[in-house]
Amino acid sequence: MTQTTSSAAPSTTLEQFAYDNLSVKRFAYATAFWGLIGMTAGLLAALQMIYPSLNFTAETTFGRIRPLHTNAVIFAFVGNGIFMGVYYSLQRLLKTRMWSDLFSAIHFYGWQAIILAAAITLPLGITTSKEYAELEWPIDIGIALIWIVFGINMFMTIMKRRERHLYVAIWFFIATWVTVTVLHVGNSLELPVSLTKSYPVFAGVQDALIQWWYGHNAVAFFLTTPYLGLMYYFLPKAANRPVFSYRLSIIHFWALIFIYIWAGPHHLLYTSLPDWAQSLGMVFSLMLIAPSWGGMLNGLLTLRGAWDKVREDPVLKMMVVAVTAYGMATLEGPLLSIKSVNAISHYTDWTVGHVHIGTLGWNGMLTFGVLYYIIPRIFNTKLFSTKLANAHFWIATLGTLFYAVPLYVAGWTQSSMWKQFTPDGLLQYGNFLETVSAILPMYKLRALGGTIYLIGVILMIYNLIKTVKQGEFANDEPAAAPPLAASPGGHKGEYWHRWIERRPVQLLVGSTIVVLIGGLAEVFPMVMVEDNVPKIAAVMPYTPLELEGRDIYIRDGCNNCHSQMIRPFRSETERYGQYSMSGEFIYDRPHLWGSKRTGPDVHRLGGKYPDSWHYRHMENPQSTSPGSIMPPYDWMLEKKLNTNQLAAKINALRMLGTPYAEGYENEAINDLRKQAAEIAASLRDQGIEDEELEEREIVALIAYLQRLGTDIKTRPQATSTKK
Amino acid sequence: MNYLLLQVETAVPEAVSTGLFDALSPLEKLLFTMILLVLFAGGWSIMNLSNSLVQMQKARLLAKVDPEILKEVGIEAVAPTIPWWKKVYDRMTDYVPLEKEQDFLLDHDYDGVQELDNNLPPWWKGVFYISMAFAPIYIYAVHFSDYAMSSREAYAVEMEVAAEEVKAYLATQKNAVDETNVTYLADADALSNGKIIFDSKCAVCHGKEGEGGIGPNFTDSYWLHGGSIGDIFKTIKNGVPEKGMIPWKSELRPSAMQEVASYIISLEGTSPANPKDPQGEPYDRSAEETEVTSSK
Repeated sequence: MTQTTSSAAPSTTLEQFAYDNLSVKRFAYATAFWGLIGMTAGLLAALQMIYPSLNFTAETTFGRIRPLHTNAVIFAFVGNGIFMGVYYSLQRLLKTRMWSDLFSAIHFYGWQAIILAAAITLPLGITTSKEYAELEWPIDIGIALIWIVFGINMFMTIMKRRERHLYVAIWFFIATWVTVTVLHVGNSLELPVSLTKSYPVFAGVQDALIQWWYGHNAVAFFLTTPYLGLMYYFLPKAANRPVFSYRLSIIHFWALIFIYIWAGPHHLLYTSLPDWAQSLGMVFSLMLIAPSWGGMLNGLLTLRGAWDKVREDPVLKMMVVAVTAYGMATLEGPLLSIKSVNAISHYTDWTVGHVHIGTLGWNGMLTFGVLYYIIPRIFNTKLFSTKLANAHFWIATLGTLFYAVPLYVAGWTQSSMWKQFTPDGLLQYGNFLETVSAILPMYKLRALGGTIYLIGVILMIYNLIKTVKQGEFANDEPAAAPPLAASPGGHKGEYWHRWIERRPVQLLVGSTIVVLIGGLAEVFPMVMVEDNVPKIAAVMPYTPLELEGRDIYIRDGCNNCHSQMIRPFRSETERYGQYSMSGEFIYDRPHLWGSKRTGPDVHRLGGKYPDSWHYRHMENPQSTSPGSIMPPYDWMLEKKLNTNQLAAKINALRMLGTPYAEGYENEAINDLRKQAAEIAASLRDQGIEDEELEEREIVALIAYLQRLGTDIKTRPQATSTKK
Repeated sequence: MNYLLLQVETAVPEAVSTGLFDALSPLEKLLFTMILLVLFAGGWSIMNLSNSLVQMQKARLLAKVDPEILKEVGIEAVAPTIPWWKKVYDRMTDYVPLEKEQDFLLDHDYDGVQELDNNLPPWWKGVFYISMAFAPIYIYAVHFSDYAMSSREAYAVEMEVAAEEVKAYLATQKNAVDETNVTYLADADALSNGKIIFDSKCAVCHGKEGEGGIGPNFTDSYWLHGGSIGDIFKTIKNGVPEKGMIPWKSELRPSAMQEVASYIISLEGTSPANPKDPQGEPYDRSAEETEVTSSK
């Protein structure tokens, strides 16, 4: 069934070779396994938002579990899904075996080692805090190396192909490879302090722009383009129908990869990012509708005349819903990028709902479809139970809806509550907690949706195990194809694009140029032109104690729930204070603007509450804020602050441009102790008894929290933290 | 008198009789016209559709009875009339019909995957062109013209408008409470409202029973920032940020601050379990009565 020999087979003798199914099998197992793990972590995070008591230990608090979930589902579940699909389709589209079995094995085991490293370091609080790029620098290097191994293996396979022209799926694979390389390197430019800590080269608004140039395009080039490539192979194969339009493939491929790169700033609308960059992000996002829908149309219209098959075949069903979810998410995304819509949606659960239409609908369902397609074929058998797969289809569809719809309602509700004023000019819901309590029922429904979806995955794994058991697997699948014709030339009257389809190197260079344009056009002016970040004289570097406190904030992932970016809206300045300005963040390495407000913004938290309030709040948030869903951070009250790296941190930051005086690394510890003693004294004044208060982590965190946003405050300075 | 009444009576119906359409706002007129247009288009297409169905049915029946009749009647080949919406749909999608697909199959074959040479769907191209045209227009409007505002300009306008609205509203509220005119409320309703606010917002620092904690004790007669109802109101309203007392003016409306201030005064003289030591100056509340009365 998989061996449809080229219809244009000439009379030349066929060459015998074998496809490597072992790598496909390995990646398939890995994607199913990590899917289960990653989604379970997601379910835990969802439940923690309803039952804070599920934050068992420091390692399992929401702030560390959430990055674990996102990394696991993106890089482990979808990542292995990409490799499964690429290793299966690439060999068959090029009529050749993967170039090197050794490279395939290094790729597989290396990638799993990276995932394992992530699963260990993230709960330990070893994190850069940059969303979807939380892993620290040694793992970043590992990712780069393994990614290059994958790239070499892929390109060498392309080089020894028996098919002259590259099919559209392979264009997408190539664009994916080159863009992820650029993004990963660009966003991981960081200076190591130790094996487990680094500071990014760029600070504040520049770091934020680069982060979202990366973050947005991680969605584009890790969750989208490789999966479009998979769709272009597996959907027509499963439907046994020709692809709807070759020309559409060409236009939407080039348009998509060119435009996507520009859209990153739509994650930073109404922030301190300069308006020109925000506008570019918005208009390019709107231009993305058509190129994205080109993919959906080419998928759905390929099924013209095959809808009767869709009714029967769970593989096609999964793919149809996947492609539809892709279309919905890529329409919603541009709409959310319209500034006035974003003013409502940003920081709320609307964004979370939107993302999960893409991930559960598009990535999840397409992965399931491909698994149901591949496993029976490489095991030379039929799927154990089509009925069960059909049940999985309905469960997954329902689970996706039960997940997303409550979050839409939650997002709209909370956003309206944030913005509601009374006629006498007060916030109707001045207490942030009221807006959280109002949406807790929606969080419960979301957890239910996630549970339903996860049950589907378990059914699938059972079904696949049964299929594997009844089948027979061979590492090598024999195949035959004519050798590559000697003359590489095209023929007269051929479509112009055929030229580049014969030239993988030109295709690689071409896509590299196309994806670099947008990134450079936005990042270069931000980094090079000083006017883009107006300086504020009052903004000073962090004191040593504040710096250590900030690193605790990063370690515990506070930025997962608290933004540090007040937008210029009345509803925000009334609630939080003066809107944030880019000049305030020039010493923020990394930026901690956040993207979601499960709790209130903290950019102007400094001086709002007494030191002892923070102490009590961290010990048990419910004692100061009844009904709060924030986890307790009581270990900070016990743990002693580790200052071993302080000198190295000061040195690293000075090297990156923070104006600490020469030699300050030696005095920093004295300043740190002095400030800690002041805070400890103020805590004792306020009735907190602890002999060794000065040495606790909590004191550093309080120092940082009391500093937040105070540099430009005009009102009298609060509390004792100022020198 | 009578004449005047008559005048008024006739004037009213006259105003109404100028026509329903004039009574509508421009927006309603537009909506009304659009509804009419939609109804008209809908009716027209239903007629068109039924007409083509009748034609098709007629041809089908004739063909069934006797194909020859068709020629006799002078109808060579009865092509069913294509309704306009189908024509629009076909033009906007521009798909090769399934039955003609073989002619549009390219000679590409990748592991059995073939490709058709369909045109780009015209509606899709339209969406793409519109989104591309919007970009320079938007950028020009926001960054190079006075037409649209930047984020910060829009913020300034928003604050100005809100301030005016609040001012206008407060002007209608005659008895707005502030620190100069606030009075102690002794009724049970006000005090129980005050207690609810106190428990949720103040108890954290001042103790469940006002015994003090992070903040000072309310059950003694000592006050750090003045013990009169006006002073207490003012402290609640503006806070004492340098000592950690936060201002509540953006969270509590004046009447609520009056209630909670009254409740705080009502705590004076109670004896909670773990009272914090007195802070500040003693304040003699009985003197206040005389002072107030004497000033009258």
